[in-house]
Amino acid sequence: MKKTPLFQAHEAKGAKFADFAGWALPLQFSGALNEHLHVREQVGIFDCSHMGEFLVTGKPAAVALGSLTVADLPGLSPGRCRYTALLNESGGIIDDIVVLRLDEDRYFVVTNAGPLDQVRTILTAIPGVEDLSEHTAKIDVQGPLAREVLLRMEGEWARQLAYWTGTETSFLGIPCYVTRGGYTGELGYELFVPADSASAVWNALLDHQEVMPCGLAARDTLRTEVSYPLSGQDFGPETTPLEAGMERFIHWDHPFPGRDRMIQMRESGNYNRLVAVISEDRRAPRHEFEVRLNGKRVGEVTSGTFGPSLGVGVGLARVEPSAAATDTRLAAGPRDLNLTVVSPPAYKKGTCRIKINTNE
Amino acid sequence: MNPESLRYSDEYEWIGESNGVYVVGITDFAQEKLGDITYVELPAVGKKIARGEEAAIVESVKAASDVFAPVSGTVIEVNYALENDPGLINRDPFGRGWIFKLDGINQKEYEELMSYIAYRAFCQGES
Repeated sequence: MKKTPLFQAHEAKGAKFADFAGWALPLQFSGALNEHLHVREQVGIFDCSHMGEFLVTGKPAAVALGSLTVADLPGLSPGRCRYTALLNESGGIIDDIVVLRLDEDRYFVVTNAGPLDQVRTILTAIPGVEDLSEHTAKIDVQGPLAREVLLRMEGEWARQLAYWTGTETSFLGIPCYVTRGGYTGELGYELFVPADSASAVWNALLDHQEVMPCGLAARDTLRTEVSYPLSGQDFGPETTPLEAGMERFIHWDHPFPGRDRMIQMRESGNYNRLVAVISEDRRAPRHEFEVRLNGKRVGEVTSGTFGPSLGVGVGLARVEPSAAATDTRLAAGPRDLNLTVVSPPAYKKGTCRIKINTNE
Repeated sequence: MNPESLRYSDEYEWIGESNGVYVVGITDFAQEKLGDITYVELPAVGKKIARGEEAAIVESVKAASDVFAPVSGTVIEVNYALENDPGLINRDPFGRGWIFKLDGINQKEYEELMSYIAYRAFCQGES
């Protein structure tokens, strides 16, 4: 298994490791529930160094990349991030990616570890695209006190950054890219630092008493509660963005693979929806549970877990249009677990969009 | 319960005698493997179960797992405290994290279960 630059730091903290897309990543440190709740109340840090990063330079490269996604990349304002889907020829999702427009000429692209080999082949075939993944470590700093801690560490950029914006800057004297976002639903920042500086940044963060190291298990329960899909699990090459809950991220007015088919699907309304579901008690829906409406199969659960902040089971399911409306009551799994479709995010108290007072 | 005086199944259940009835739970090794436990479905009191039959369900952040009856018997009591605090199994698997109690058990099946020493060796082979 591949190791991130933080592997030894995690070992020293007593992490339990798991294989994720060929990487040895911390599954948990103090325990998934504890870490989850800590992120909702204070700050958790996550090692996401397994993810991919690319630098796209020049308008032709941006247009070429944009034509493979549902986003209008040349129309993105400098300093802003866009969540989008990288598509195959038929409009299926190879990966969901985040693009930060750094300035007039340059875009910073963040991709997932699972499909990284395929994504790398596609992106680096575009002239003007540089693969930074090997030498870049990614540390997510997530939680309502994240900004406070980063400001205390003289991360002045945290003072200004609004939700879903980013910049090229430095932190602790180390050059880095920073975005305000994440995968937890809480106020958070994603730091992209040179791999050889990763442990310096990680350990400096851990010096603050509010900060707890967190693993994949908490990352999964946090993202599931806020109804964020996981690449390769909640969608894949067979799924179009329409069927992955990404309709609001589709910029229709530009060419992209599968556009005609998706326009037809949208007009007919006849396509499966990815919906957020909750259960009635602590019993959780699980990946691949069959979902039924009035006894008839209408889809399946794609992600499911107990939601520690909700106190009930929570998940995502892909269902037929007849079963997709909010408040629809469904049954799932071998023992008729009752589920209710809810508007996403299932957990609505997250602080990720919080407006900050830039004077503080 | 003292782990050294208990008997063990190869599905990571323990069973031990206390005041004439037999208490069943899952082992420390099992709770460690499962991670934080988030839900326990208890058997019905009065239910007769056969050895190897699904008796309870333990769900963790990671997955749902069946708890099997290590021996045949009748469920005479269940640990309702687990409904509100399933983490008892993580914190005290051999004590307050017990799951159900059996009466009228099959003694021969009980004798066939692993001893503490045999179970320790079994877990070392599995980890």
